[in-house]
Amino acid sequence: MNETKTHTPFFADKQEKLAEILSRYPAEGRRSALMPLLWEVQRAERHVSEERVHELAEIVGTTATEVKGVMSFYSTYHEQPVGTFHIQVCSTLSCALAGSDELFDFLSNELGIVNGETTADGRFSLQKVECVGSCGTAPVVQVNDTYYERVGRGRCRHLIDALRQGEMPPVWRERGGDTVGAAKAEPLQKPTDRGEG
Amino acid sequence: MKVRVNDVELDLPPGTSAIDAVFAAGGDVPYFCSQEYMSPIGACRMCLAQVGAPRKEKDGSWVMDEATGQPKIFWFPNLMATCTTQVMDGMVIDTLSERVKTAQNGMVEFTLINHPLDCPVCDKGGACELQDRSYEFGDGISRFEFDKRHNEKHHPLSDLITLDRERCIQCKRCVRYFEEVPGDEVLDFIERSAHTYIGTADEGLPSNFTGNIADICPVGALLDASSRFRGRNWEYDHTRTTSMDDATGAAIIVDARTGRIERIKAALNPDVNKTWIDDGTRFGHEYVDSPDRLTTPLVRRQGKLEPATWDEATAFIAERLKGLSGKDVGIAIRADATLEEGVAAMSLAEELGTGQLDHAPRPAASLIGNQTATLTDLATADAILVVGDVTEEAGILDLRIKDALKGVTPPTLMPHGVPIADLRLKERMPRKREILAVAAPYRVELMRHAGTAMRYPAGGEAAFFRALGKLAADANATLDEAGQAAVGMPTDQARALVARLGAAKQAVVVLGGFALTRREAAEAARALIKAVGAKELAVGPMANSYGLELLGVLPSHERYGYAGMLDGSKALILSHLDPAQDGEVAERLRGKDLLVVHDIFMTETAHLADVVLPAASVYERDGTVVNLEGRFLPVRAAPVDAGSSADLTGVVRALGEAMGKRLDGRSVRSARRTLKKRFDVDFTELPDHGLLPRTKSRGPAKAVAGEAPSATGNVLVVPSMARAEYLNRNRHLAAALGGNRLRVHPEDAAKHNLAGGAEVRLRVGGTWRQAVVQVTDAVPRGLMTIPSLPEQPIGLAQADLTSIVVEQVRLEVAS
Amino acid sequence: MSDQTATAAKPAPILSRHDPRYEVTMYRYVGVDGAHTLDFYRSHGGYEAAKKALTSMTPAQVIDEVKASGLRGRGGAGFPTGVKWSFMAPPDGKPRYLVCNADESEPGSFKDRYILEDDPHQLVEGMIIGAYAMQMTYGFLYVRGEYYLGATRMEAAIQEARAAGLLGKNILGTDFSFDITVHRGAGAYICGEETALMNSLEGLRANPRLKPPFPAAAGMYGRPTTINNVTSLTSAVHILTKGAAWFSSMGTDDSKGTKLYQISGPVKRTGVFEMPMGATFRELIYDFAGGPTMEPKAFIPGGSSTPMFPWEDRFLDMPMDYGTLAKNGSMLGTGGVIVIPRDKCIVDALYNLVRFYAHESCGKCTPCREGVGHWLPRMYQKLVSGLGRPEDIELLESVASNIKGNAFCPLADACIGPVQASLKWFRDEYEYLAANGKSKYAKNDWWQA
Repeated sequence: MNETKTHTPFFADKQEKLAEILSRYPAEGRRSALMPLLWEVQRAERHVSEERVHELAEIVGTTATEVKGVMSFYSTYHEQPVGTFHIQVCSTLSCALAGSDELFDFLSNELGIVNGETTADGRFSLQKVECVGSCGTAPVVQVNDTYYERVGRGRCRHLIDALRQGEMPPVWRERGGDTVGAAKAEPLQKPTDRGEG
Repeated sequence: MKVRVNDVELDLPPGTSAIDAVFAAGGDVPYFCSQEYMSPIGACRMCLAQVGAPRKEKDGSWVMDEATGQPKIFWFPNLMATCTTQVMDGMVIDTLSERVKTAQNGMVEFTLINHPLDCPVCDKGGACELQDRSYEFGDGISRFEFDKRHNEKHHPLSDLITLDRERCIQCKRCVRYFEEVPGDEVLDFIERSAHTYIGTADEGLPSNFTGNIADICPVGALLDASSRFRGRNWEYDHTRTTSMDDATGAAIIVDARTGRIERIKAALNPDVNKTWIDDGTRFGHEYVDSPDRLTTPLVRRQGKLEPATWDEATAFIAERLKGLSGKDVGIAIRADATLEEGVAAMSLAEELGTGQLDHAPRPAASLIGNQTATLTDLATADAILVVGDVTEEAGILDLRIKDALKGVTPPTLMPHGVPIADLRLKERMPRKREILAVAAPYRVELMRHAGTAMRYPAGGEAAFFRALGKLAADANATLDEAGQAAVGMPTDQARALVARLGAAKQAVVVLGGFALTRREAAEAARALIKAVGAKELAVGPMANSYGLELLGVLPSHERYGYAGMLDGSKALILSHLDPAQDGEVAERLRGKDLLVVHDIFMTETAHLADVVLPAASVYERDGTVVNLEGRFLPVRAAPVDAGSSADLTGVVRALGEAMGKRLDGRSVRSARRTLKKRFDVDFTELPDHGLLPRTKSRGPAKAVAGEAPSATGNVLVVPSMARAEYLNRNRHLAAALGGNRLRVHPEDAAKHNLAGGAEVRLRVGGTWRQAVVQVTDAVPRGLMTIPSLPEQPIGLAQADLTSIVVEQVRLEVAS
Repeated sequence: MSDQTATAAKPAPILSRHDPRYEVTMYRYVGVDGAHTLDFYRSHGGYEAAKKALTSMTPAQVIDEVKASGLRGRGGAGFPTGVKWSFMAPPDGKPRYLVCNADESEPGSFKDRYILEDDPHQLVEGMIIGAYAMQMTYGFLYVRGEYYLGATRMEAAIQEARAAGLLGKNILGTDFSFDITVHRGAGAYICGEETALMNSLEGLRANPRLKPPFPAAAGMYGRPTTINNVTSLTSAVHILTKGAAWFSSMGTDDSKGTKLYQISGPVKRTGVFEMPMGATFRELIYDFAGGPTMEPKAFIPGGSSTPMFPWEDRFLDMPMDYGTLAKNGSMLGTGGVIVIPRDKCIVDALYNLVRFYAHESCGKCTPCREGVGHWLPRMYQKLVSGLGRPEDIELLESVASNIKGNAFCPLADACIGPVQASLKWFRDEYEYLAANGKSKYAKNDWWQA
């Protein structure tokens, strides 16, 4: 019944960042800052805890319930911490036609976790996701914010080995499609299974 | 606008929704998401109909159908949700075609695939919209062969509301309700798609208006926790009556079964509460069925109170009265007695020839002003000043003020009643906060919604109104430091507030109890009201405060008022009053020649009485009350088994018989004959929605000042939605509120070593009070607040802080 | 005779990428190293169109030019962009917003992502032009949450542009002021629907809103708002540079200009191809994507929401424009073609898509939440598990038809269209599966080396 707080607010020492985020929106739209604030917290803490939900509610001038309602609507905000490497495998049609189901099973076996789980050491979490807009370079594995595209068997092996070493391998640029334009010369052939960018 | 629904031609005002057109035409479509007084959202898709309209050529003439010679009807390709479709001139709505029937059946089927169909064990069974509509518009079979979605069955959203997540059909009424009506967004959808469920992250649903969601839930998902599993809908006796919990007179339905009140629901009164009631009104009834209710008269024989018959008890009183001079007898009734009971009390006083007659609590100032606003005036006002905590005093005012913030006038009633889909209402409407100013000595709920919020020093209402009055009289005047402190804001803001009130087309000043506790405060307030050309709403302390003043249940002289008679009378007849809670008063009562107590429990005073008469609770009386607008509202008795208890008309009848007299007011019928002469209103024919006499309010029969509280003090006795005197007998409400709260500023809590959650006893004035400590900066430093008892009129009081006894420290997780 | 005269007077429209007159514009620098910088963009003629608009044209002239070009919204619905722009009431001094919809979430679509990542200034310029034409006071760019790189590149580009006086107060020395905030989504397909997108931008659950009011009347924060797709705005850049006549010289009667088509599934060269509207599927699939790598049986013409066609000449030879596809019972959508090989069981393919829509339904209305979100995926699951019975197919059809047209927003129909098309063209596969408990075509491993 005491109306006192017991935890340090996330933005206590980030007032400048908070002010910057709030400044992106007009005064009448203070609540618009909610999604970027959720992102800010999640990037730092790999999830958004209940305390943070209450803190953000106060910042944008609404209730914790509303924040929870918004947060739970979107599939990429997490209530529980995800792994250091949050591995997301697209499973929608174009990726499925490029083997994403098999890819997912491979990762699941490798890591010993199923969809939605995090490894005991907290390093990896694995999630099946819906189309992430990499249909032309399927299958795609998104590790945290980074896309790894055209992940064939070899690349997948390479990727997971690197992650196990604690490294995010450099991305390999994949665009496919049009070759018109200066300095574009991706050949019309099956992509080779290079492991590097 | 000409509209055709099936074969019925109608002429409807522009802006009408197609669903209201259908109902206005006597037709029917099912709906689950639409709800009177809330925004239509088109979510449940039940009200689909085939809709078409004529089109105009470029030159403005109708495109004609060559075959019929009539304007050609262009049908919308898809079926339309009629709740979100606005009628157009010439629109044709078909609700009977096969296509519509197939769609309705399809929607019923979809709605039911995840609904448990546990109707036989569901509290809503027999009064369930989904059950009824499925029967009417469904096929009666389900082709869904998979497992239904499973979810929590008995989720306590709060101590008052239990949620069954499996039964929920995601109509969103409850979620919208919280945002649109009280503006407390404490319930929302969580997750999405088929996983969507309603939930809260704000523990216990912090709002004073949570129970309404149980009324509007179209299924058995949201249930009033106090009535869950208590009875089936067809077993209840439904009594439509008027709430006696506060001065607004909300319409309620009391559902009783085998002599017990099982639940209270809101009823419709478009002029008063629409379809909403506060939680105090809804959940505050459990005390009525308490096992320690008095059911039979008691008479003191050889120093002991012993059961007696009414004849014995009244004979005893009559006998004692013979030995007394009538003018030495004091008669006092609580301010929620009906007008009929008021007549009975007056008639008894007249018979005895005493001027010692009063109702209590009664504020120092009169409640009957010159320019009384109606609740509709309030809901359509463009400038509102509230002084006090009206959310706690009279919750409906809080909601009607929020109507004004939306700026949407109350809807015109249709042939079928309140429009089902008022298209002017939207989700998340912008609120015109700037029109609302709220002032109180501590932070009150309504301040969150106000453009201007002021905290003035407790007891400083007179100074507050005088300072504003000064600015109203002279726009160029300035407030000195004391004046600014008195209004709790700088001069320019105060000036802007006064200017807004003055410039408004319809300004309303709401005078909460604090502003009425002292005559000079009320006078200053009324001077301001006059200066700015506003109307006023004075919030009386109880349900019939206005009516009893209007009727004149008043002493012949100020010194014969309630406080005076406790001292000066030789005999006392008290109805629903318990002055002996104050130890000093108790001493004086011991010295009376006769003390008659008419009450529902063995109160402190009853223990001292010579005769105790069992009383009818507020739910067990027939009669009339007058709400704060001056509206006469009918009160009807629910069938509650309370032994031989009787209301005051019954007391007067029995006592009259013992005295060999046929007194006026010896029955409700008899009282109404008197009232008809007095008010020219036939109270037996009072409509459900009440009657607001068109003539200007008459002044009170006698203007006699009530008693003012102390001018100083360290505790502010504040109004409470939950009646403090019964709270410990209202199990669910007490759990939800955590008991009567002694609210203490953090610094004071530290100073007095009070921990949040501690159960304490302390002496406030002369009365020992029990309370639970709540540490909060909502109250100012150096001032605690505690909810009022009827015997303790709101306002400042002195508490002996050294007297605080910590009885128990409950472990509470800090929130 | 008159035909010949007409032909002589007006050159034939460009209907093929092979037409020597055709020139790639929007996609020219995608995939080029360093193309995302302001230096690169300006040295390749960037911001000249915005300069032209702001310094030599009135807002009305810009709108007229876009109207004359025949540009139709590239987000999928194909509403004429210039007409949409003209719906905005005249400025009244209060805020009015341009929102760019870069919540590209339609399976099979990935054109916007490459623009955001590789050519962000093109979009900034497009937004400036659109904002100037409608006299917007502020812009929001709604980028789907997963496009982290795209959002980062856009933010950097906006900062560069601001520093160069191309955004902010008095752009290019004119009295027009405009700025852009990048707003990241967080994984919700429904945000592609413009009113849901506005709710999301306002920090609310992204349920679609009732229309009316339409965004042009009351959109963001209740203010007049226009929402345009990324490539609608980037098209405007080139319309102003090269003229409405150039744009309308490409395409069919109802579909003008150049468009980014995407192709995925088993073809030699997947990716984005910029082509004139009216080019055929065959040209895209065979001439540019190099043809299928597995035996094909069907193609989805414009993103997963568009009803599929079987692999037949009459469909492959359809021009990729709005009207032709509508006439044939489908939609151009985003122009994201997905080729479906013979060995992919069509029921399984649809289960994949239905699962997608079930996951993405917002849950607001009953038929979508219960039908799309719950019942359909269960029915498909039953079928692909081999537990279906022949009568399940009729039930599936019945449930689908109960949903169609009855939901609050187009998401449910986006699911039902493909379901119904699959039943129309490949009912035999459903029947085979229901009768035999196993698929007519079954390939176990789609993952390549």
